[in-house]
Amino acid sequence: MVRKPSLGRQKIEIAKIEKKNHLQVTFSKRRSGLFKKASELCTLCGVEVVIIVFSPAEKAFSFGHPDVDSIVNRFLSRNTTPQGSNGAVQMGEAHRSANVRELNMQLTQILNQLEAEKKRGEALNEMVKASIGQRWWEAPVEELSVQELEQLNASLQELKKNVTKQAEKLLIESTNSSSPFMQVNGINGVGMAVNNQFETKPNLINLAARSIPQGFAGFSHGHGLF
Amino acid sequence: MTRKKVKLAYIEDLSSRKATFRKRKAGLMKKMYEISTLCGVDACAIIYSPFNNEPQVWPSNEGVQDVLSKFEELCEIDQSKQKLNQDSFLRQRIRKTDEQLKKQIRLNREKELSQIMYRLLSGEILHNLSIDDVNDLQTKMVRFRKDITMRIHSLEEAEGHPINGN
Repeated sequence: MVRKPSLGRQKIEIAKIEKKNHLQVTFSKRRSGLFKKASELCTLCGVEVVIIVFSPAEKAFSFGHPDVDSIVNRFLSRNTTPQGSNGAVQMGEAHRSANVRELNMQLTQILNQLEAEKKRGEALNEMVKASIGQRWWEAPVEELSVQELEQLNASLQELKKNVTKQAEKLLIESTNSSSPFMQVNGINGVGMAVNNQFETKPNLINLAARSIPQGFAGFSHGHGLF
Repeated sequence: MTRKKVKLAYIEDLSSRKATFRKRKAGLMKKMYEISTLCGVDACAIIYSPFNNEPQVWPSNEGVQDVLSKFEELCEIDQSKQKLNQDSFLRQRIRKTDEQLKKQIRLNREKELSQIMYRLLSGEILHNLSIDDVNDLQTKMVRFRKDITMRIHSLEEAEGHPINGN
């Protein structure tokens, strides 16, 4: 089942949004993005910023560097005689910026990790796409017929025996040996064409090695698998 | 628009820093305009930089004054609920990204286990499976079989009678 891809980035008209919940969602996302941009501006260029936004529900959101209040006060008193910055304030700033530097590094690191995992996810998706069409049992459960489901179920039962056997073997081996990295000696796969147990069922055919030319359409509804 | 990945750290080179500031400031002001217009909300921005004598503001000095008054009118509690600085903002972002990361790892693990299970089902013999792989595989297979059984039952119900004489 292919999910319809999202619309992606669309150019929108800059005018008040009509639908209330669309407006709220937009506000949430954009506010978040706005603060992100402001934070980056401060980090990259070493400037001082304050941003204040009121939500559609009149809740106040603010972001400020070094902090909201000091910049607000600085602005409000800009017409009065300027005061020299005192040493204590500067000390506080130096300490703060070391901390912020660390946080930015931490953030960069975790963003990189996320990107790596996303790439891994895409690679896994590609593997799935490649094998679908060759192996009918990898289709979603909803697309399989009762007979196919039962065959799958039986194979799983068989496989589970092998897996459990290996798990027990591992457990014994791990208590005997000190190595934490025990390798399974090999779980025997259960061929979907396991012969003996299905000989008595006339309608099931040996499917494992063959690629199925028609794709899945032929298997969704019929009782016969021809 | 260039799409080079920028390192999240202070730009040491002066001209580069100045250029970045000019571009990003413009972008930020544009975003301010967009959010206030799209959502019909009050907003303001103030930027102090070593590159300008006067603070850079949006929408205007008067506009900023109005929003600040509205902000100052709020009691301390209402202001602080969503008042962030670099420290608190970055921590929040780190936390959210961490959640996304954990979710993605979980998703990938599921896909990986599916791959292992399907390969075993097709008759492959797999060697380098860890203890965790084996245990997680068992769990997955139990769950999978449950889904299959449920599906068989619902299909049989739809047909009105059991199929294959089970």
